[in-house]
Amino acid sequence: MTTVARTGSRRYRELNGWFFVGPSIALIGVFMAYPIVKSLWLSLHSGQGSVMKFVGAGNVERLFSDPIFLIALTNTFIFLIVQVPIMIVLALIMASCLNMPNLRFRGILRTAVFLPCVTSLVAYSVLFKSMFSYDGLVNSILLKLGLISEAIPWLSDPFWAKVVVITAITWRWTGYNMIFYLAAMQNIDKSIYEAARIDGISATRRFLSITVPMLKPVILFTTVTSTIGTLQLFDEPMNITNGLISDVTLTLSLYIYKLSFRYVPNFGYAATVSYVIVVLVAILAFVQFYAARERD
Amino acid sequence: MKNLPETIRMACTYVFLVLMAFLSLFPFVWMMIGATNTNTDVTKGKISFGSAFFDNFAKLSELFDVGQIFLNSAKIAIVGSFFTLLISSMAGYGFEIFRSALRERVYQALLLSMMVPFAALMIPLFTLLATADVLDTHMAVILPAVASAYIIFYFRQSTKAFPSELRDAARVDGLKEWQIFLFVYVPVMRSTYAAAFIIVFMTAWNNFLWPLIVLQSNELKTITLAISSLGSSYSPDFGVIMVATVLATLPTLLVFFAMQRQFVQGMLGSVK
Amino acid sequence: MNFTKRTTLSMMAGLVLASTGLMTASAVSAKEVTVWAWDPNFNIAIMKEAGARYTAKHPDVTFKIVDMAKADVEQKLQTQLASGATKSLPDIVLVEDYNAPKYLRSFPGAFEPLSGKIDHGGFAKYKVDLMTVDGKVYGLPFDSGVTGMFYRKDLIEKAGFTEKDMQNITWDRYIEIGKKVEAATGKKMLALDPSDGGMVRVMMQSGGRWYFDKDGKLDVKGNAALKGALEAQAKLFKSGIVKQTSGWVEWVAALNKGDVASITSGVWITGSVKAEKSQSGLWRVAPTPSLGTPGSVNASNLGGSSWYVLAGGKEKAAAIDFLNEVWAKDVDFYQNILDGRGAVGTLTASRGGKAYSAADPFFGGDKVWQSFSDWMAKVPSVNYGMFTGEADAAMASQLPALMQGTPTDKILENIHNQLATQIK
Repeated sequence: MTTVARTGSRRYRELNGWFFVGPSIALIGVFMAYPIVKSLWLSLHSGQGSVMKFVGAGNVERLFSDPIFLIALTNTFIFLIVQVPIMIVLALIMASCLNMPNLRFRGILRTAVFLPCVTSLVAYSVLFKSMFSYDGLVNSILLKLGLISEAIPWLSDPFWAKVVVITAITWRWTGYNMIFYLAAMQNIDKSIYEAARIDGISATRRFLSITVPMLKPVILFTTVTSTIGTLQLFDEPMNITNGLISDVTLTLSLYIYKLSFRYVPNFGYAATVSYVIVVLVAILAFVQFYAARERD
Repeated sequence: MKNLPETIRMACTYVFLVLMAFLSLFPFVWMMIGATNTNTDVTKGKISFGSAFFDNFAKLSELFDVGQIFLNSAKIAIVGSFFTLLISSMAGYGFEIFRSALRERVYQALLLSMMVPFAALMIPLFTLLATADVLDTHMAVILPAVASAYIIFYFRQSTKAFPSELRDAARVDGLKEWQIFLFVYVPVMRSTYAAAFIIVFMTAWNNFLWPLIVLQSNELKTITLAISSLGSSYSPDFGVIMVATVLATLPTLLVFFAMQRQFVQGMLGSVK
Repeated sequence: MNFTKRTTLSMMAGLVLASTGLMTASAVSAKEVTVWAWDPNFNIAIMKEAGARYTAKHPDVTFKIVDMAKADVEQKLQTQLASGATKSLPDIVLVEDYNAPKYLRSFPGAFEPLSGKIDHGGFAKYKVDLMTVDGKVYGLPFDSGVTGMFYRKDLIEKAGFTEKDMQNITWDRYIEIGKKVEAATGKKMLALDPSDGGMVRVMMQSGGRWYFDKDGKLDVKGNAALKGALEAQAKLFKSGIVKQTSGWVEWVAALNKGDVASITSGVWITGSVKAEKSQSGLWRVAPTPSLGTPGSVNASNLGGSSWYVLAGGKEKAAAIDFLNEVWAKDVDFYQNILDGRGAVGTLTASRGGKAYSAADPFFGGDKVWQSFSDWMAKVPSVNYGMFTGEADAAMASQLPALMQGTPTDKILENIHNQLATQIK
């Protein structure tokens, strides 16, 4: 922690404080806060396109009797509950493998697993779509290996389409999260591991009882950002699994998009659904912070 | 895996890492192969290099002014990154160094704003830019992203590792706060900036939804918009699309490779 | 809501923007008509040709044709109409027919009525009907989505069928033929994406019905055509003659690779069929199979789009004059776009032209454009209504259940219930 107690008078600190944060606050005020307030106001309205009327809490009531909203909510939670843990665990394992002393080709391997996150969304969805198509690469490899007897309709089957979306996000973001862990691991004092090794503690135990606890703040950070990302999941189901046509990978963000641009536009109701995401994120972030704090 | 011999454990590690590296890299190889094949070969799933690259490229240049869309993407990404790094790092620095109860509140509100999905803000934001009469300019794409809560958060975390002795010494030398920031903080934190630059550049380069809505003219279009319109044609040519995706991916790869070392160091700082 | 008021916030935005000095001003010439469309090989290219024709006679009017993905056009249009910031909208926009009623009713006043300015009598009636709201005709009909059955003559002959056997058949007969074709050649009869409801829509419209009746009221329970279509779709999959595909590209690839013996789709698929040069001479075209129920015909529609003029457009007058002069009158233009781009326009007068009676060697010398043009006149006119997007989604979400053998009456009930909550 930086000690700033002796940096002059209160007035001096105030002036400088606002000088540094001012531009950002002004910009965020204009480009975030104003739209947020405006969309809150919108969420009290309902209608078709530009023909809107004030409905108060009407949109919230509608949520509870909307079967498609329930589908979207369920799907979003399935993605969240399955994908985030898989990705975090995989990233942790990768990071601790890459952090092993005397590992050769470390740089190349690290770069390789990180690269997926630099691809543009448009590019990677084209790739995944073509690989998982019915006659695509994945099916033909699995068929050749004899692992399946007939081609799997990856992109349209209610179960497999979710698997593809989870695979795609995991492919793109695991390396990204891994870098955070790797960086944090390099800060852990090597002598702690040495001591544990001399005491005959197994590698798995060292990982669970030294690495994971030391990484708790980073794990918390990546879990919260991943949760936010997954709750707002939009691009992959939209572009890879045809979430616009079928409901099998419909997420909350995709439903907002459909309400605004695919169906008869109801921007008020769409805004209401987007605040459902805000509330969910806030609750989950709070729970995660709380859980992390408790064990301290 | 309890107390396995060291060699077996190492072997497992290598197998696992190589497998992960292969899975991570394979789609890139597939993309490059696709760029050299004709449309029918791509859809048939041919996994070997072909000879259609120049044909595909020629077809792409027929449909778009490739140089122009490339320049547009580059301008948005570079100008955007510059201002984002400047403005957001100032804020991250300011929040950490000059703490006050009020600014902590503002900071928390800032973090909360990350949680609002963009879809909800799109229409009010569009109205705003329309009223300011700046639609269909690159500025309209760049500006809303300049103050990024995520990057502010990242810089504030990294600033915790900035040695306070340096600040004290600079103050003794009589430097003003903005001078300390510009001439002491920025050079010391260059790997933090490098890491942030990679993230910001990639986000700006790959951005799709917002440029789509505010840009109207063909002359202003970015490369991601071009790929999207290629892909939705009645008869999409996948060879051409693959060439476009290779072109769209190259700059981010180059930026990453050029700054890789600093990137890892920068990440290191942010999680201390 | 009045969005035009300058708020302090937006003035701040303006100041910030102006002070950065990075604004790129776009120069606007005196008369430049802006057009939005989505396919560089099709409607974009065609619009460019139309524009060039008009500019040749009116040198003061030029065209700026902006190319975007179809979903992107829809999204931009809706964002701008909703925000009330219509200044940067184009003068002319291409709208898919299914979406037209939705736009016309959701954004009243946004589109310019063209009745009285353009003679719509010369266009196919079903196209004009769907752009008519409260007696006013909006838009100018562009391409037709009239459907036909493309089939491989060589493959059906191996199974002992002739071209005559393929004319005006029902889906039941089609399945019989398909089974024999598969037995004789090992090829599937058609390719279909199990998650896409397009085929159901084609079959439903051939039965003269839609999800909504003429008054726009929900018409799902007791809709014989929809029920027949769902049953036919289920039968197709159960019979085993379908090659499953996912997504558009794979579906087209199935034709080009020679994996299937036939395909039923809109006339716009012709270009993709002909893309595989090695299959020249093997394909033929026959009328769309019918449901075989009373009132169903051997003609239907899938897709198709039309041009609309924005009421707030800067060059509205020039845009209307252009549409009238080229798109509503220039028969030679229609010959050109048919010849060059395979676009079947919906101006009836253009059918007399040379290009329409040309023999196509790819289809064994058949006059396919003439055939499509004839079927176009038979397409039953239905009311797409505002909620076709919702209805399609509701129907598509029931397709997995349909495949698993859920009774069609139950499926209809599910679709009805889902829609009833949505279209309040």
